[in-house]
Amino acid sequence: MWTLVRQESFKLTRRVSTWISTGCLVGIEVLFAFLSRIYPQTFVPANMFESLYFSRPIINFYMIAAAATIITMEFQYGTMKQVLYRRYSRGQILVSKWIAIFLYTLYWYVMSTGIALLMKALLFRHTLSIHQGAGDGMSIFTRGLAISAASFVSLWLLLSMVFLLANLFRNSAAAVSVGIIGYFASNIVTQLLTILIQKWDWAKWNPVTMTLYPSMLARPGYYQPLLRMQGWQMLLGNVVYIAIFLWIGYYVFNKRNV
Amino acid sequence: MSSILSVQNLNKSFGNKHVLHDVSFDLTKGHIVGLVGPNGAGKSTLMKTMLGLFNYDSGSIEVAGEKVTPQKHESLSKVGALIEYPGIYPFLTGWDHLQLFADGDHQLIHIQKIIQQLNMDSFIKRKAKGYSLGMKQKLGIALALVNFPELVILDEPMNGLDPEATKELRDLIISESQRGTTFLISSHILSELQRLAQDLLIIDEGRIVQQTTMHDLLASQGKQTIMLMTNDDKKARQLLKKAKFTTTPDPRVEVVAKSDDTLPQVLRLLVEGGVDILDVTRLEGNLESSLLEVLKQSRIKKKLAAEQAE
Repeated sequence: MWTLVRQESFKLTRRVSTWISTGCLVGIEVLFAFLSRIYPQTFVPANMFESLYFSRPIINFYMIAAAATIITMEFQYGTMKQVLYRRYSRGQILVSKWIAIFLYTLYWYVMSTGIALLMKALLFRHTLSIHQGAGDGMSIFTRGLAISAASFVSLWLLLSMVFLLANLFRNSAAAVSVGIIGYFASNIVTQLLTILIQKWDWAKWNPVTMTLYPSMLARPGYYQPLLRMQGWQMLLGNVVYIAIFLWIGYYVFNKRNV
Repeated sequence: MSSILSVQNLNKSFGNKHVLHDVSFDLTKGHIVGLVGPNGAGKSTLMKTMLGLFNYDSGSIEVAGEKVTPQKHESLSKVGALIEYPGIYPFLTGWDHLQLFADGDHQLIHIQKIIQQLNMDSFIKRKAKGYSLGMKQKLGIALALVNFPELVILDEPMNGLDPEATKELRDLIISESQRGTTFLISSHILSELQRLAQDLLIIDEGRIVQQTTMHDLLASQGKQTIMLMTNDDKKARQLLKKAKFTTTPDPRVEVVAKSDDTLPQVLRLLVEGGVDILDVTRLEGNLESSLLEVLKQSRIKKKLAAEQAE
């Protein structure tokens, strides 16, 4: 299994886009850190640090594209056959791709957190403390970490859907489109969701609600009464939906002719 | 000799279309086997099914005694393959590809050996997006052989190769088969296959029509001809006609060999008749005409069987 994960990671590291996107993300974080330094009234330093200098949405877009292409590129380049007719089972091959993308997600989160800490140390040494309170008994740093963890989980809910669609359609455009629409959908339909949830309590358990997990952690007082959900329920819902989508994708991948 | 691949009563359908019908055969270790048949006969489907790429309805596929299914196929560690066209990642170099798919011990030695055998040094460190068709084909073949597997399945391996590369590949296949590697090769370049394959699997409409050796197929079609150069062709022809040997209408002296004894009998007859023999050549029939004859006969038989059934 680790051989397969290493091979998938090898392919990722050999793609120019991996390094260009890394450079872009570093650039965006540095840019927003400087903007926060120059215009602290508009780009509030504590909020900007918490948001990892606007890196989370960028990571989401990168990861949606990466999760779609790690499967569809094998069909596009005609390499799926070569990948499959080895001693490894189909399940092992698919799971190795999941693990590679999981590690790739970790790479982005660890890197963006590291850059954010570096920017804080370089530009806000005396004006911002990561230990200062941010409400709910959390410091800016711990709150930032909690939101990152929630973003990570809800991103994986989207990625599990993207994996499934990439498997079904063998087409990255379809999978990426649905992933990005899914990312924006939660914010667009929040109002409609709250109306539905107020009318029928069970409606809160739909997957779109689960993608609001990081928003709820950022503003618990606002979202908890609207969605009638606790943090642990959102976490559980995310995990269950991730498992369902990955399992369907696994089943389809095992059954299909290549 | 033992079998490296055994396919028994294999049936495969795509929806309502039954594409492989009770396909059964065994491949003997160290042999080069040609898989031939017309377009749409089921060659690629058969190869893909053997490699676990397709599910199948019934039957069994075993590589070195271990079952192969799309879900479980550990025994494919003994198999290398190139199916349809080489799958190439454009952002990787040829070397990266070999590194990616090389397995087990001595990977570097294996990679260097296959690069040298297929003469790929000049382009192996370049990104594959700039490769010509022939370079991609060579890389695909190298990927199939890099782990020096016991069984190699090649679908149209000569596609896009120039004469020099074709000869390199032919030499490589022959040398590896002499070391015990079994090859199953599907190709429409029948002249090339005729020079390589010892055994043949002829497939038509999803059925194995005949499993035979190259020699037997060519001989069974009555196309084995002995061509003679003598000091008196007219007298030679008269003697042969008198002794009731079958000659061809060719202006040269040609005798159809009906058995292995034909040649010594002809030589004895001519020498005793006072004709000097300057040269003797055996002209075997070609695979193309023999294959077409087999397919024709098989279709006639099938049609008759269908008519009788009605």
